Amino acid sequence: MNFPVLSVVTFLPLAGAILLIFLPAEKKNLLRYAALAFALATFAVSLTLYFNFDATTPLPQFEEKSAWLGYGINYHLGIDGISLYLVLLTTFLLPIVLLSSWTYIEKRIKEYLIFMLLLETGIIGVFVSLNLFLFYVFWEAMLIPMYFLIGVWGGPRRIYATLKFVLMTMFGSLLMLVAIFVLYAYYYRATGIYSFNIFDHYQLILNPGVQAWLFLAFALAFAIKVPMFPFHTWLPDAHVEAPTAGSVILAAVLLKMGTYGFLRFALPLFPDATERFLPLLAVLSLVGIIYGGLMALIQKDVKSLVAYSSVSHMGLIMLAVFALNVEGVEGAIYQMLNHGLSTGALFLIVGILYERAHTRLIKDFGGVSHQMPVFAAFFLVCMLSSVGLPGLNGFVGEVLCLFGVFRVSTLMAILGVTTVILAAAYLLWMYQRVMHGPITNEKIWTFKDMNLREIAYLAPIVIMMFWMGIYPETFLRKMDSSVVHLLNRVKNRQRVFVQEAGPAREKLAVAKPVEAWTQESMAEGTAIKNAVIEVDMITGNWAKKEEKLEAEDKERGENPDE
Amino acid sequence: MNNLAALSPLLCVVLGALLVLLLEVLFNKENKSYLGYVSLAFLAGGAALCVRSWNKLYSFFNGTLILDNLALFFFLLFSLAGAFIILLSLKYISDQEANHGELYSLLLLALSGMMIMVSSPDLLVIFLGLEVLSVSCYALAGLKRKDEKSAEAALKYFLLGSFASAFLVLGLALLYGAAHSMVISGIIEYFQAGTASKTMGLIGLGLVIVGFAFKIALVPFHMWTPDVYEGAPTPMTAFFSVAPKSAGFAVLLRIFLDFWGASAETEFVFWALWVLSVLTMVVGNLIALRQTNVKRILAYSSIAHAGYMLVAVLAGDQSSLVFYLTAYLFMNVGAFAALIGMSKKGKEYNELEDFAGIGFKYPWIGGTFAVFLISLAGFPPTAGFLAKFYVFSAAVRVGLVPLVVIGVLASLISVFYYLRIVVAMYMREPSPDREVTIDQENPALFLVLFLCLYGVLQLGIFPGNILTIIRMAVSFL
Repeated sequence: MNFPVLSVVTFLPLAGAILLIFLPAEKKNLLRYAALAFALATFAVSLTLYFNFDATTPLPQFEEKSAWLGYGINYHLGIDGISLYLVLLTTFLLPIVLLSSWTYIEKRIKEYLIFMLLLETGIIGVFVSLNLFLFYVFWEAMLIPMYFLIGVWGGPRRIYATLKFVLMTMFGSLLMLVAIFVLYAYYYRATGIYSFNIFDHYQLILNPGVQAWLFLAFALAFAIKVPMFPFHTWLPDAHVEAPTAGSVILAAVLLKMGTYGFLRFALPLFPDATERFLPLLAVLSLVGIIYGGLMALIQKDVKSLVAYSSVSHMGLIMLAVFALNVEGVEGAIYQMLNHGLSTGALFLIVGILYERAHTRLIKDFGGVSHQMPVFAAFFLVCMLSSVGLPGLNGFVGEVLCLFGVFRVSTLMAILGVTTVILAAAYLLWMYQRVMHGPITNEKIWTFKDMNLREIAYLAPIVIMMFWMGIYPETFLRKMDSSVVHLLNRVKNRQRVFVQEAGPAREKLAVAKPVEAWTQESMAEGTAIKNAVIEVDMITGNWAKKEEKLEAEDKERGENPDE
Repeated sequence: MNNLAALSPLLCVVLGALLVLLLEVLFNKENKSYLGYVSLAFLAGGAALCVRSWNKLYSFFNGTLILDNLALFFFLLFSLAGAFIILLSLKYISDQEANHGELYSLLLLALSGMMIMVSSPDLLVIFLGLEVLSVSCYALAGLKRKDEKSAEAALKYFLLGSFASAFLVLGLALLYGAAHSMVISGIIEYFQAGTASKTMGLIGLGLVIVGFAFKIALVPFHMWTPDVYEGAPTPMTAFFSVAPKSAGFAVLLRIFLDFWGASAETEFVFWALWVLSVLTMVVGNLIALRQTNVKRILAYSSIAHAGYMLVAVLAGDQSSLVFYLTAYLFMNVGAFAALIGMSKKGKEYNELEDFAGIGFKYPWIGGTFAVFLISLAGFPPTAGFLAKFYVFSAAVRVGLVPLVVIGVLASLISVFYYLRIVVAMYMREPSPDREVTIDQENPALFLVLFLCLYGVLQLGIFPGNILTIIRMAVSFL
């Protein structure tokens, strides 16, 4: 396929944003329709990714590559079974959130829409980049539109929330940037080639001590984004202060960038360090699950309740990722999508309530279902999806996650289940207090049920909830080969160091020479120039190849320090 | 090749300066703009001569003036900076009671001083260039003659600058006594060869570094910077923050290019500069946090940026330093241009509170200012990110990981105060008792804003051609 689908999906929203700059700010409806048209067009193009996706190969598809700045910095896009759905989730949700803020945002609508579209470009860029540099550019660039969305259109404490969000995220990502530099320098030292290509870096086995530091830097950046306990403190502030559309995108997609980062970068790049820090990370995930759930239980504000429920749900996703087996990782990816839909929907529902009541406190509501029966139905489905009722999407993901965890540790699975129990508790209780009972607040008598626009944007989400809950095969099968491949990469390489001291040493003909070679060249600081070591992680064959290379991607430059 | 052509760009600029001085006396018109246009013409002429000399390696005065490609690149950079400053001054000086035509003449002289600095391998000649630059700058700082702050700035700059020059001269004398050479390569040879004690040379070199540290405002030699930057007329502040700094770093680049890792003495100097770099990044950024005057915030930010540039010097990576200077020129001049835009006749708005709500009230000034601040903070896809990326990446490649970690954390601090200005512009409502109206009738200012915006984005997204030119320029060293 020669049509650059991924570039179009990534940059179509940007084109829309640029177009919007030149439209007159007074014609608000024109602006809204233009932005919606671009978002829908992006979604339409992204659907072709799904239909043309080849489920049999773990290799990146729809690859696009062209030289950019030299020295390994290339424009390199591609998706596999892991990133495919995250791209689709983003393009699917954007038209929805634009519709949701159709009337709510009146002030400075032009700038708002521009930032929304820029945000979409940034997020999709993160998911499709296969070059570390390009990935980092999108990862950071995406902060700016989010910063403005929270800071300009947010609630009363928006400035505090937005600065906290930006500074905490940047703290992690700047350290990750240093780690990327180190990785780059090591790769150059080992092979004499400059490369930011992720797949090149997968080949490099670093010494475990170095791996540990680099892993920590990457993991910190991603853990803040997820957010894992104790780096979650920005989340309640940002979620509560952001406008509805911002909260939806933040919860549904932005948090997934953290989990995606673990799957794409932190685990496969540093398998030995992963092994080493696994217990710590699993425990932090568990703490997040329970802490988030308990905090959600005591919230007075519906929106912050949903925000804390995110902490709890993301904890389960991370726990499943660290189970490092097919069920766990597929469950985690599936649950990432589910969480995107169900929490996104809950934020939309809170938005609908807020537009009518101008309050989000649970105590101000009660008996809303009498006035808004359609809304009550939608709310119920979304809430149950988040709880994990069988037949809806949440159940499938949670079961897979817990299966994966159970295979590793029964205790952790038992503790992990609390996420479901707690979710049932805080969500059902909240639903009861808001929707049922007598109407105590006079204002509620004036509430109107959902209008056509609101039904139009919630309906697709609800349909997806049923679909993903009843027939998950549609989605799961396209992940299989990518997930298996990823796990092979992480686990087979672990053997290199883990079993080295054991008796099975001679069996590891694969691992030994690779390690020796790598360590030797690290120790001497000299590189075997123009040589690349190729290890097929699945079959276990290895070979040191002289002079292999597609030259356009790897440039050999002068090495200043040798 | 010994050729009078080596002098041509310099002569063109100096002639321009003299002509402007004469014209001012002869015509003495109230509107000084024509002097600006004359200066621009001479700068353009000088730049054209530079382009013609590319790759020719002209030299003159027995090799004390060498036009290698690096020098030419800096000439062009300075000319661009000079042109921007002239455009920014056209309206400013008549609006803000600084209507003196000498400005253009002094500016051209300062540029000629910087050109001497970057094109000579001889430290004494470099010193001459530096003095031409400094004396012009002292006068430029005091251009608003009736303004107390401006006078204070000029005096402070003059006193501390002379002090620094004295250090520099003493250092040069000691170096000459020790190394019997004033040429950079001779001094490096002296440090690399032999085992005899080099204490005198080391003291000399230390004093030279102190002298330069004053001029490029490294912590703890930065005390003059905020006051001078605040008091001087804003276009001059923009000039001070960009041009002398670039010239100073160009000289450091030449001195320390082959210097690292040669002997125990160079090791000592390396760590001294390492400490200076850390101090500059951390202190510059930390103090900027507490400022409420945007001009002062930008002053401290320019101190911090000198720290990042020093990282490049320590990494010994010339192209990343030159790229940083180029990117810094666009983003910093752009930021000051937006600040100059925040003014009307007889009134400048520099306090953070004045910026409340500006982003939506004056979308072009607010929008471009936001882009420059985001670039200074180092967000992609702007020039500031790529500049920091190259510098830090080069430093990690030579193993300076702790320095880079400090550097990125310092830049995290800087994000906070840059974003504070953006917060004020976009997220705060203007307070009713502070009426801010600005005069937007200033096409030259908008030209500069958009050129800088273009530069920041071009260098941030597609810097290919500039990078190629820079690599060509430094490959001559």
